[in-house]
Amino acid sequence: MPEAALDFADEPPEAQAARIAELNDRYRHHGATSVLQGALRDPQAGKLTLVSSFGAESVVLLHLVSVIDRRTPVLFIDTQMLFTETLVYQQELAERLGLEDIRIIRAADAAVAKEDPDGTLHQFDTDACCDLRKTRPLQTALKGFDGWITGRKRYQGTSRAALDFFEADGPDRIKVNPLAHWAPEDIRAYMDENRLPRHPLVAKGYPSIGCAPCTSPVAPGEDPRAGRWRGQDKNECGIHIVDGRVVRRSEPMNVIVTDAGFRQDDWQGNAVLDLASDTDPNTVDLSAAPGLIRVDFPSFADGRGFTIARQLRLRGYKGRLRAHGHVIADQYAMARRSGFDEVEIAPDLAARQPEAQWQFRADWQRGDYQSRLRG
Amino acid sequence: MYHYNDFDRDFLANRNAQFRAQVNRRIDGSLTEDEFKPLRLMNGLYLQLHAYMLRVAIPYGTLSSAQMRQLAMIGDRWDRGYGHFTTRQNIQYNWPKLKDVPDMLDALAEVGMHAIQTSGNTIRNVTADHFAGAAADEIADPRPVAELIRQWSTDHPEFQFLPRKFKIAVTGSPNDRAVTKAHDIGLRMVRNDAGEGGYEVIVGGGLGRTPMIGKVIRDFLPREDLLPYLEAIVSVYNLLGRRDNKYKARIKITVHENGIDTIRDKVEAKFAELKPLFSGVDQQMLREIEGHFAAPEFRTASTEAFDDAYAADPVFRAWCDTNLSDHRADGYAIVSVSLKKHGATPGDATGDQMRTLADLAEAFGHDELRISHEQNVILPHVHKSDLPALHRALKAAELATANIGLISDIIACPGMDYCALATARSIPVAQEIAERFEELKLEHEIGPLKIKISGCINACGHHHVGHIGILGLDRAGVENYQITLGGNHTEDAVIGERAGPGFAYDEVTDAIERIIRAYLDVRESPEEEFLDTFRRVGTEPFKAALYPKETVDA
Ligand code: SF4
Ligand code: SF4
Repeated sequence: MPEAALDFADEPPEAQAARIAELNDRYRHHGATSVLQGALRDPQAGKLTLVSSFGAESVVLLHLVSVIDRRTPVLFIDTQMLFTETLVYQQELAERLGLEDIRIIRAADAAVAKEDPDGTLHQFDTDACCDLRKTRPLQTALKGFDGWITGRKRYQGTSRAALDFFEADGPDRIKVNPLAHWAPEDIRAYMDENRLPRHPLVAKGYPSIGCAPCTSPVAPGEDPRAGRWRGQDKNECGIHIVDGRVVRRSEPMNVIVTDAGFRQDDWQGNAVLDLASDTDPNTVDLSAAPGLIRVDFPSFADGRGFTIARQLRLRGYKGRLRAHGHVIADQYAMARRSGFDEVEIAPDLAARQPEAQWQFRADWQRGDYQSRLRG
Repeated sequence: MYHYNDFDRDFLANRNAQFRAQVNRRIDGSLTEDEFKPLRLMNGLYLQLHAYMLRVAIPYGTLSSAQMRQLAMIGDRWDRGYGHFTTRQNIQYNWPKLKDVPDMLDALAEVGMHAIQTSGNTIRNVTADHFAGAAADEIADPRPVAELIRQWSTDHPEFQFLPRKFKIAVTGSPNDRAVTKAHDIGLRMVRNDAGEGGYEVIVGGGLGRTPMIGKVIRDFLPREDLLPYLEAIVSVYNLLGRRDNKYKARIKITVHENGIDTIRDKVEAKFAELKPLFSGVDQQMLREIEGHFAAPEFRTASTEAFDDAYAADPVFRAWCDTNLSDHRADGYAIVSVSLKKHGATPGDATGDQMRTLADLAEAFGHDELRISHEQNVILPHVHKSDLPALHRALKAAELATANIGLISDIIACPGMDYCALATARSIPVAQEIAERFEELKLEHEIGPLKIKISGCINACGHHHVGHIGILGLDRAGVENYQITLGGNHTEDAVIGERAGPGFAYDEVTDAIERIIRAYLDVRESPEEEFLDTFRRVGTEPFKAALYPKETVDA
């Protein structure tokens, strides 16, 4: 197939946004098959390729594509760190589904020789390794296309919760996500009904399969992606992150903990100043601060709030100061000593860690080495 | 020796009661495993490959014989009869049961010890020169100030949930035995031109996957400004340190990414705000603590018995030549007891060995023991006339290995045998190297040489600063060992250079032997130590020995 000139090169951003909106409108109420069918033929979508890892669930999209047009180019990224099982599975599937244009993409030998001669880079820096072995080769391979088809689904993680069928991928390309609305059951049902072969590692406890060194099996009940990049805050490999927006749930937060125990929120004033955990406490305008400042604790492991509180007190803030969010009973003394007056927690946390456990640390002034040393 | 006062005892009793309650709440479900984890870590309890591991702090490496006996008792009663001394002046028990841990902590409290902040993302056990209070080259004893920092950092409310762990080391000697340049904060006790005591403050050093040598943030900090200055550094780091990637979260990365000048400006600004909060009471307390560390009453006696034995007994002589260091008092020596008998696990000591050492410290060593970051036990104050008797007793307990500072005195992390993070074995590699050179009988000819081994990029074995460093990685499921050369952990700290492609598990010992043979070939005289030769000739001769074919091709 001749590499036709790209249909949408140099398209201005507004035009791209409008085109994506139209595409999303057109296919809003369609199922995966018709989205895919439409996209592969729709002149507004341009020249597309399917990017597949030949992982645990890839067979679904490969099958859908093969039924519509088996000449669709399929890009397979071989990081040269994959399980042998994946390589074998890739060949078997390509044959079984009759896919005619599989393009195997790898990092250039020279780049690997320079950046990762021993194949141990992933132990030093997974981001650099993924960049070398996935992101850059894919970017190069995608240059000949107007867009690519991915198997991403909304249920797969908070950063994917608002996924649409069509989205921008930088100024020159779009991404098509035909399976955006599929649930895990749909995937399983589709594989069963079409008798599609499973990746052999699924039976061994790997529900999500990437490179061998960075994938481990997950225990029953664990998040299926928990086995990827264990121990790191890394969830995605750089290919899928577009804006990385995290969608937060809003919950009723109505238990206030003080030295006297639990009570309802008695704050009557209307204004509350909410500070995120990444606030620089020196930039907060205290002259305009209302009588209540709440400092957010997105996780009990994020201790920035303690320093923020202490700094606000150092700067002379005398009003009410409240720690708000995921603070646990064992941190009550730390919160009080850092300058907080009280803690605000969600009802489910209050149920799990009842009043007595917080009262246990109402003796927060006892055994305080720091005040003793300051005198 | 520091003796706990009522405040310390009450604090510890209260803290142990809290942990006992936390263990119960984990068992009844009011704490999730996620929530329990940092709490147990703050109390030194790790979950390892086989089981829980309890890491107990030996503050600034100092122990009395009573404390040593209690450590032995704990090992016998709740572990399998031994303990493992680590590279950070801690002792680890590898087999405790969760339900026993509160009792173990109470047993520690009886002798004024604890496991607080030996792990977790907080300020860790403060380490100091293991020859403190004894070394001939010392300007000042670093232990009182290390004790002050221990108190200040213990349960500091602001700093229990930092971006990452935080380690502080102090040295009082120009010959830095505390590796201050490889710590988050390193403190060197110095005097200014006016003769006043203070500290050179070094920040942002560290080993691990991105090794960095610390940078000087303040070249002279007056003594009384120490605590507010430390508080300023840690609080700047708490807000600025990265929390999105645990491998970029240490302060060395914060310093590297923001630049030392930016960090210094922020720290100085914060310091100016914090300083007025300190009334000066801490300095009074420091003086009180200093009283606890007064030198023992050294005795004057003839060293004739020692001189005779030294002349007559070659085994004793060899041991003296390697295992003794200069003491500042006349007629005294510092004795290093090697826990690295050839072929044994570096750092392991049995309950019996610990009791023997406690007895010997009581009989010959003014009741004091030290643990070094080189995983050896030190009797800091022994009169030379007692050395022959001491040596006999050590021999009987199989503790008289004369290899301090030599090739078989290897630092090795627990590696694949005990550590869940390991990508390769490290203890067996150390054992095999030690045995090889024992067979070759080359050890004393080679002279001072430090080999350090880590079982993964976290570098707990400090391989970057070994004269020869060995790093065990995983290469497509197979252990692969990278070798670095020319590292050094002392005051002119240097990160070793990588020699080239790695070696398989069964090739490492041969590779080390080739390096050593190359050294013996090119050194100018037996007096030229490995590191000096390396500095003179560079990596080339060693690379040629390691990778013979490639040099021919090149
Ligand atoms: S997943 Fe792991 S091995 Fe694969 S490219 Fe990324 S870091 Fe490298
Ligand atoms: S260096 Fe790695 S293997 Fe060794 S103790 Fe540290 S984390 Fe474990």
